[in-house]
Amino acid sequence: MRICEVMDRDLTALSPDTPLSEAIEILSRHRVSGIPVVDPSGKVLGFVSEKDIVKAALPGYFDYLQDPSFIPDYGQFQKRLKKIGLDPVSKVMAKDVVSFSEEDSDFYVAITLIRNHLKRAPVTKNGVLVGVVNRADLLERIMMEEESPSPA
Amino acid sequence: MIVTVTLNPAVDEEYVVPEFRPGGWFRATKVQRSPGGKGINVSLVLKQLGLETAAMGFLAGFSGEYIRDSLRRAQITTNFLHVRGETRTNVYIVDEVGKVETGLAEPGPYIGEEEIARFLSNYERILKRTSLVVLGGSLPPGIPQDFYCELIRIARQRDIPTFLDAAGAPLLAGLDEGPTYAKVDQRFMAAYEGVALNSLDNLIEAVTRVHSLGVEWVIASYRTYGNVFFTPEGIFLAEFDRKGIVSLFGSGESLVAGLLLSGREGMGTKERILFGMAAALENALHVEKGVRDRSSVEKLISRIRFEKLS
Repeated sequence: MRICEVMDRDLTALSPDTPLSEAIEILSRHRVSGIPVVDPSGKVLGFVSEKDIVKAALPGYFDYLQDPSFIPDYGQFQKRLKKIGLDPVSKVMAKDVVSFSEEDSDFYVAITLIRNHLKRAPVTKNGVLVGVVNRADLLERIMMEEESPSPA
Repeated sequence: MIVTVTLNPAVDEEYVVPEFRPGGWFRATKVQRSPGGKGINVSLVLKQLGLETAAMGFLAGFSGEYIRDSLRRAQITTNFLHVRGETRTNVYIVDEVGKVETGLAEPGPYIGEEEIARFLSNYERILKRTSLVVLGGSLPPGIPQDFYCELIRIARQRDIPTFLDAAGAPLLAGLDEGPTYAKVDQRFMAAYEGVALNSLDNLIEAVTRVHSLGVEWVIASYRTYGNVFFTPEGIFLAEFDRKGIVSLFGSGESLVAGLLLSGREGMGTKERILFGMAAALENALHVEKGVRDRSSVEKLISRIRFEKLS
């Protein structure tokens, strides 16, 4: 099945200069884990996820620790989050975006998302955003589909 | 791609109550719940007729999620801004015996200045891939009354035609900016002109005046089942009879969708009017909003009475 039959044709997007505080608000109100970042013509420039924002709000050494028990106390985290809230999304967004075309198969998209540890990714047509794919929606679709005969 | 703007969407709840009267307690024999608001309805009908559109505007709360989810399942492109509060619910009671409809509308969530600015930046972005904009319905609290003016102006700067389907002050303000198409209702026109528009002559005069504001196509309702069309090729009247009509709810938007689809396919003025009116009639033949499909619309073209007025 082609991905255009499963994707969410939602064009909610941010511009690179959107402040992170606004990005957080939109993530929360739209109940999604990530949003594409586009230029004025809708061309995808990046993708910002809540994971990127959390990472930016944590101190730089956090990556080396690999243990959440080292997360600084709540007050400190809030202070950092508020501070980076003024930064533009372009500062934390993933610039090397995994994106798909409408003709890609659902199976290919699911495998690519899983390999890249992604929950959501944009679908584009000539580079312009036309929708978003969600891993959970894909898993549901693949589970419902009739099993393809396994090669002998 | 056609883009529909619904600034104040609604969850439409239609209840069929055989003998409805105020003050009583009734059990509905049928309930129909659907995403609504003029622009959204046009998007849904165009989808039923096989044309892709994008819908945008403001959504809020639980009802807003229901609308977004329904549009998503219909595979309609969306670009709504989610705001605080709750998207409204509009209730319609269809009295099957008395053949009357009663409606009840909510005002909708408050939209702040910052949200308006965000909407405008989404609007400008989507216009880059838009062939026509449909602007429909009431304005939620917080949106300035002349907002349609601004949206029409922005579209015109990019040579994108607009279709305005609204009422009251927002319509009046929007007309000043000269949308390409405007659908006005007779009651509103009567108030606007300060004269009763029960005669066809008065109505033609009023519609002509709207046309002089730069509106190419003016569509005004006439009696219950008719419309007067002021077009670049003349003024026409099209009507259908009441045989088989269950509910006119959503018929206006089916007319808009029919006119737009036929226009896109390059049909002539008469054919466009006939197709649009047939879509409106098909919508009226069942409680469910919208049309069944294109062929059931085409079958009804022969039921439309068409007349050239001038």
